[in-house]
Amino acid sequence: MEGGTGALGALLLADARLPVGGHAHSATLEAALEAGMPAERIPDYIRARLATVARTEAAAAVAALRAARGEPVDFGPVQAALAARTPSAPLREASAALGRGLARLARRVAAGHPAVRALDTAGRAVPGLRVLRPVALGALGAAFGMTAEQTARASLYDDVQTVTAAALKLRPGDPLAAVDRLLAAAPRIEEVVREAAATATPHDIPACSAPLIDHWAGAHAHTTRRLFVA
Amino acid sequence: MPENTASPENTALPEDTAAGGAGTARRTLRLGVAGPVGTGKSSLIATLCRELSGELSMAVVTNDIYTDEDARFLRSAGVLAEERIRAVETGACPHTAIRDDITANLDAVEDMEEEFAPVDLILVESGGDNLTATFSPALIDAQIFCLDVAGGGDVARKGGPGIGGADLLIVNKSDLAPHVGVDVEQMVADAEKARDGRPVLALSRTDADSVARLCSWVREVLAAHLSGAHTPQDPGPMAPHSHGPEDAGHGHGHGHGH
Repeated sequence: MEGGTGALGALLLADARLPVGGHAHSATLEAALEAGMPAERIPDYIRARLATVARTEAAAAVAALRAARGEPVDFGPVQAALAARTPSAPLREASAALGRGLARLARRVAAGHPAVRALDTAGRAVPGLRVLRPVALGALGAAFGMTAEQTARASLYDDVQTVTAAALKLRPGDPLAAVDRLLAAAPRIEEVVREAAATATPHDIPACSAPLIDHWAGAHAHTTRRLFVA
Repeated sequence: MPENTASPENTALPEDTAAGGAGTARRTLRLGVAGPVGTGKSSLIATLCRELSGELSMAVVTNDIYTDEDARFLRSAGVLAEERIRAVETGACPHTAIRDDITANLDAVEDMEEEFAPVDLILVESGGDNLTATFSPALIDAQIFCLDVAGGGDVARKGGPGIGGADLLIVNKSDLAPHVGVDVEQMVADAEKARDGRPVLALSRTDADSVARLCSWVREVLAAHLSGAHTPQDPGPMAPHSHGPEDAGHGHGHGHGH
């Protein structure tokens, strides 16, 4: 696997068929609905994520992409900065589970790439926590030769589509309406793409958590009747 | 400083390696149990744990619609230490979790192999799905497909990738056959025709002989796995063709469904 796959890599990382475990995640939508959020507010939920957690993760993915081009590659500062900006333990764990799937993919398709090799030690920055999703995404973005914009957009698209796809399982409706929800969020996604693409160092990652989402995710971790991991 | 909720002894999580898939030199036999809902997969797994956990180091991964129903059943059966039974979420797609995207199951399997090393046998129970759901050979080394007599005597004849290609086909709850008007021997014979000689076992947990045959089969597969003689087989995406009764007795479907 060599460079020159940037455009294709961006499509690949946004594809729900990518076998990295995403289908078992709802971006905390299951917990939100369980806590009483009405289904009509799912578009608001998407907007809220784009303003908070999704924004932080997209910036972290870009910071990881930049770190991936360093010599030697050191993801530790990004991993530590993102962990510090993810106050919910269940959400750190969910992100680490997704990161593990992406890292497994990266080791399969680009084992020799310096950014992929650096994933082996990236988890050491925060003891007890595996590589978070945006860090693995940045490493794969580097291996695929993706731009900062492509990497940020892949992160944000995945976040929104995780919500819309889970909504079809949790509050079944017209699947085409799920596409509307994504496209309605497009202008905001592009704003966040531009903002995230400007992330130069781990210190630039915004600390935008959403306390209610953190709270819902915490409650979800203790329920026994779950469709989704988080 | 990042916050750190990890305990000091949990500072070094093992790194996954590229060679995590099935088919590599590995002690643990990963055995899948698939089949439609209600055919007795959890009960079969409980039976295997009860019979074999004395001689083998075992663990179980369950896949369910709602997280941990099967895991709780197994824990309450008291046949294996609770921490050796783990449930994974499948996002309402149990078939995806064992075939198209095995990430969550592979994570659970690898974690338990690491945590309880050495593990001889890990059983992975699919979420009760339909006749077409089978395990990817990247997740498991061998698979059992479970039907039951109460589902109807004609199910085995209808075929499907699990019925046709699983390493072992179980016709479960054979003790119920007289009550549901099913001829077990006929059902087994139909299944054998669809399977190119692969084994079929009529099982009842109240029939000690059938349970002993099941355990012997598992021991044989484990021995073959350890000696390197066993190669994981994919039951294939397609059901073998059914040619109807007039075709019975002609060696069936070579080249189909593989």
